[in-house]
Amino acid sequence: MRLLRNLARRRLRTALTITGITIGIWALVVFSSMANKVDALVSGGSDYYAGKIVVSDGGFGGLGGQPMRLDQREELLAIPGAEVVMPAVTMIASEIQGVSFGPPDQVFGAPAGADEGRETYVPQVASGRSLTADDEGENVTVLGSSIAQKRSVAVGGSITLHDHSFEVVGILEPTLSTPDVTIALPFSTAQRLVHEDLPALVRDQVRSADIVSQFVIFPAPGADHDAVADAIEAEFPDVTALTGDGFDESVGSSVAVFNSIIVGIGLVSLIVGGLSVINTMAMSVAERTREIGIKRAIGARRRRIIRELMVEAGVIGAIGGVLGVALGALVVVLGNEAGRSSGTVLFELTPETAVFAFIFSTLLGTVAGIVPAWSAARLDPVAALRYE
Amino acid sequence: MAILEGRNLRKTYRLSRTNSVEALRGVDVTIDSGEMVAIMGPSGSGKSTLMHVLGLLHQPDANHGAPPELAFAGRRMTDLADNQRTRIRATDMGFVFQAFNLVPTLTAVENVALAAEYAGTARSTARTAALDALGLVGLADRADHRPAELSGGEQQRVAVARALVNRPKLVIGDEPTGNLDSTRSAEVLELMRGLNRAEGHTFLIVTHDAEVGAACDRIIGMRDGRVVSDSRQAAPAAH
Repeated sequence: MRLLRNLARRRLRTALTITGITIGIWALVVFSSMANKVDALVSGGSDYYAGKIVVSDGGFGGLGGQPMRLDQREELLAIPGAEVVMPAVTMIASEIQGVSFGPPDQVFGAPAGADEGRETYVPQVASGRSLTADDEGENVTVLGSSIAQKRSVAVGGSITLHDHSFEVVGILEPTLSTPDVTIALPFSTAQRLVHEDLPALVRDQVRSADIVSQFVIFPAPGADHDAVADAIEAEFPDVTALTGDGFDESVGSSVAVFNSIIVGIGLVSLIVGGLSVINTMAMSVAERTREIGIKRAIGARRRRIIRELMVEAGVIGAIGGVLGVALGALVVVLGNEAGRSSGTVLFELTPETAVFAFIFSTLLGTVAGIVPAWSAARLDPVAALRYE
Repeated sequence: MAILEGRNLRKTYRLSRTNSVEALRGVDVTIDSGEMVAIMGPSGSGKSTLMHVLGLLHQPDANHGAPPELAFAGRRMTDLADNQRTRIRATDMGFVFQAFNLVPTLTAVENVALAAEYAGTARSTARTAALDALGLVGLADRADHRPAELSGGEQQRVAVARALVNRPKLVIGDEPTGNLDSTRSAEVLELMRGLNRAEGHTFLIVTHDAEVGAACDRIIGMRDGRVVSDSRQAAPAAH
């Protein structure tokens, strides 16, 4: 209570300082949430690519490439180190997309069990079931969590895709990554869909059953992934073979730079907030010089004066922290809610981020109070008593 | 019995590289327990400096002249570190300053309790002691008022209560009536005189005010950093 009365002595100044900290923490929370989202996307991608080599014919990640032929699977299996080769079909879902953050909605189809148990990146089914070999050729689908939410559909409902109706048999748990925006179809159903989507001239020359847009290769245990990828690219000059390390290198480093920039912006705002705490506390000490002199004269130890002022500065930081985290959370929730319908989920506010921001803010305030508190404690009580 | 004994007390303040002031030029002084003593003298005579040295707020100079000696309650003070002197100020001394010497954001009882807390008393006990001390100075009913809500005389009485809350061996006043009109001044003086007689508190008061001097048992006169007179009064003026 005594402490709050001290803060209330100069209400406007205290309020402005708290506002400064609040804005800094708000920026840190919002930007960190954005960085969290990017990290989740990338780590999802990184998890997906780990332990495998994805072979596609041009487009990054196999999206939008020219159709390859299914019979190339045998040739790939002949490459030393390529132990399991799983064909897959991917295509962009044709529904109109808004400006989107993260991967676009995509259709994915692979034969059930073709990974021979090697796939480690298997999103959990939240409701319904996974696709099985019995589903081949059927118009059934398992939806990622974001797609299900965006289209307001549950297991047993249906969605329309390329003018066909698909029964929803399962919905996945959220992963914050590509599976959330994936429409999984049985392999042959996906082949048929891609085939129908080809330009008429090409379509006549390709059989639906031959269509494949990427091969996922699970190398033999102990095999050098880069060597396998190099061998594939040497054998098939038109394809790209992307390893887990390759993905991390090409995406990870640019994401790290992006994240550093956005978190850096938040930190700069905080430094400004911290300077305003130093300024406030220094002015407060100057105004209270006589009072500090009295306290020292009647027996307050230096340690106690330092503690009083640092706690006061820490409370400024803590109040700014609470308000900043609350405002940041509000922006994150409103921003995500507004963007959800168009698939633009920009932020991911984790409890760690919120707790870190609060603790950081409190520490920043406390540390900013050190110098003014120290100089207050060093005052000569007699000189301070005479101070006008 | 002497509560405070000083010998060879010197203090020189350096105002600049070439200019310094010899505020104390070798003062010997003894204050007995239970006395009410006034230190008087013109501005610049060294009376405030003497009070700061005797109140352990400043150390006497040890780098020139005969080595200083200062004993409080029989204990040597000249070698103590800042923290130890602060501790003694908190537990065994009380201070009343000229003006504006209360913490403005705290109520009367909180101001008094603060001194008890600095002396190591728990907060709840400190509050009880503070209320008792306010009762002693006749301000029990003003305990929850802030300084701005009290008159100048009442504020000084709160300061006296704060000086007494730890039942100190010595109360030091620096012009305690300096900012009060004659009526309020007489009130505060009477309070201190009464407490000295009734409770046996030792008072050491720096003052310009002849009336304050007249109310004390003894007047130490100072000029140019030296004690020039020391007179006991057989019958101090009654207030």
